Amino acid sequence: MTGRRWTLVAVALAGGIAGGLTLGIALGTDTSWGPGRGFNAVVGPLVGWAFIGTGLFARVRRPENRVGLLMIAVGFTWCASALIVADQPGLFVFGYLTIGLPYAILYHLLLAFPDGSLHSQMERALVATGYFSAVVLKTLETLFADTGASPRGLPDNPLLVGTDGGVLADVAGFRPELGVLLALGVVALLAVRWRAAVGAQRRALTPVLVSGGFVTALLALFLAAGVTGISGIRDQLEVARIAVLAMIPFAYLGGLLHSRVVGAAGVNRLVARLGRHGRPVDVRDELATALGDPALTLLFWLPQRELFVGAAGRPAELPAAHSDRTASVIEHDGQPVAAIVHDRSLVDQRELVQAAGAAVSLVLENERLDAELRATVEEVQASRARIVASEGAARRRLERDLHDGAQQRLVSAALSLRMLTGTLNGDPESRRELDSARKDLDDALRELRELARGIHPAVLSDQGLRAALNGLANRAPIPVELTGGPTERYPENVETAAYFVVAESLTNVAKHAAATHACVRINRAPEKVIVEVSDDGIGGADAASGSGLRGLADRVSALDGHLEVDSVPGRGTTVRAMIPCGS
Amino acid sequence: MARWSDSRTIPLVPRKVLVIDDHPGFRRTARRLLEGDGLEVVGEAGDAASGLAAARMLEPDIALVDIYLPDSDGFELTSRLAALAKPPAVILTSSREQSEFEDLVERSFARGFVPKHELSGDALEDLLK
Repeated sequence: MTGRRWTLVAVALAGGIAGGLTLGIALGTDTSWGPGRGFNAVVGPLVGWAFIGTGLFARVRRPENRVGLLMIAVGFTWCASALIVADQPGLFVFGYLTIGLPYAILYHLLLAFPDGSLHSQMERALVATGYFSAVVLKTLETLFADTGASPRGLPDNPLLVGTDGGVLADVAGFRPELGVLLALGVVALLAVRWRAAVGAQRRALTPVLVSGGFVTALLALFLAAGVTGISGIRDQLEVARIAVLAMIPFAYLGGLLHSRVVGAAGVNRLVARLGRHGRPVDVRDELATALGDPALTLLFWLPQRELFVGAAGRPAELPAAHSDRTASVIEHDGQPVAAIVHDRSLVDQRELVQAAGAAVSLVLENERLDAELRATVEEVQASRARIVASEGAARRRLERDLHDGAQQRLVSAALSLRMLTGTLNGDPESRRELDSARKDLDDALRELRELARGIHPAVLSDQGLRAALNGLANRAPIPVELTGGPTERYPENVETAAYFVVAESLTNVAKHAAATHACVRINRAPEKVIVEVSDDGIGGADAASGSGLRGLADRVSALDGHLEVDSVPGRGTTVRAMIPCGS
Repeated sequence: MARWSDSRTIPLVPRKVLVIDDHPGFRRTARRLLEGDGLEVVGEAGDAASGLAAARMLEPDIALVDIYLPDSDGFELTSRLAALAKPPAVILTSSREQSEFEDLVERSFARGFVPKHELSGDALEDLLK
């Protein structure tokens, strides 16, 4: 046996002894107060044993889940608090001191159910207040409680330090009021959680949350009755509370069994549906139904990139440690295939989630490959868009450098020559030379301007597509009619692509089409810009053969758009680019 | 201010010009050229902000404004110059051609546009007629 098992056996033995002692003491005392020793004698050890036993079972089943530990702790503290019925002052005061502890631990257990951790500040605050009241305030109160002087005939208090505790005792005296508020807070939180739960979550939560909520509500009533002085029904409330408390461990076991039966049936149905031929299944929907979590999502593992992606191929993170959602990783042949992201209440049914995952793992492997493919396509598209963007940036830089550098120097040189011409007198030979140099320089300037414009039209970045297209139309050697020029600005990549489609198409019209007239249309459609250049020329253009049109098609498809060329011989050519553009 | 019936005669009081361009080389050449043509270059500025300040202080007759300025553009600066108490006549210039700016030159407060390589005193005087 391992050390862990020895520990569990020791806890079981200790639990047995603690329950037995409680039983023995209850039977051996003659207490005239409270609901009576008979009830305590029977129910006391039963509650202790039930919690300790069920806690041990939960501990074996889920060693990492704190629920088991908390149940064991409720059991032991319950046994300790039951000593309050003892005649012997030492045992009595031990019970008196620990009377609130099992409830503080119970609140912790209920709020942390089913995965064993607290998830909100509110939950943590309530649990902390519960422990503070049960330990600190109760200890303070005990030090100044003269139990021997009570009219109920209680044993003396060996821990008594005085009858006047001053402010400290006054503060501790508010423990019942605080207890009422605390219990109401816990009931409210449990109700909120129960209401928010659907499907399998609710199935898993209901038995424990409802019985626990009842116990807490009954405790609130019991304390409120004490505070308000209505003591007539306190005994009945206490009996009812202890009876429901004793049911909590069995509610836990029953809920577990029920979830397993219902869950297994869900998985069976899932397997049966997957077995049907000829119909593709939506694995996510099937899993959501089988596990009773409508919000369930699937993530797929990409081994090369070592990350999870959603069905659309976008990278996704597994839920954070303390969120309401949690993930179960499904493996196939020892490799992660997918992660089922589900409500944290399903954590307690890990076997069920794994069984459902195993049932769909083959189908999941297919979907994983789909998601991998989509992720790859997405990555390629993104990198292509990045290349286009960086090419655009490089072109703009180059144009700017030409403008600021060579162009400025040539302008200065041209102006200097002009000045020189003014100072020359006579000598016709020199004047001719100078005129020729000035003409060369002007030509060089013009060519440089055209080169810069071909690299990147500055007017496009400065004044937008409409102005740039006007410029193109004005410079074209044949009449160009421009319609639907945009008044708004599109994203830079879209404007550049649209501009080059028109520029390249008009160049082709001038070179090859023998056209008399061309038409440029820019239309804004939802989510895209449609650029169309048509002419009345000879037609017969082929997107596959001409490198210009091929380059345009590449440029447009890098933005996820596409290019159509409609060119029947004798009936002109229409180039149409659809460029995606969010609104 | 004197009025001239013939712009080709050198006026007795030369017209005052402010050159606003971010290229020092061009400013230098423009100064020599315009002064050779009988104009008085009273100041130079490398950007729109200092150009506006210089115009306010020097009260030139003509502001030669490059369309590309590091902190603004020539059209914007033209509007600001036009709002001065003594607004200069603005002539826009660029190493690009006017057609590249569509109708922006016409729509601005500027008197006209001269391509940089065609800059001369006569070119400015022609635009002021």
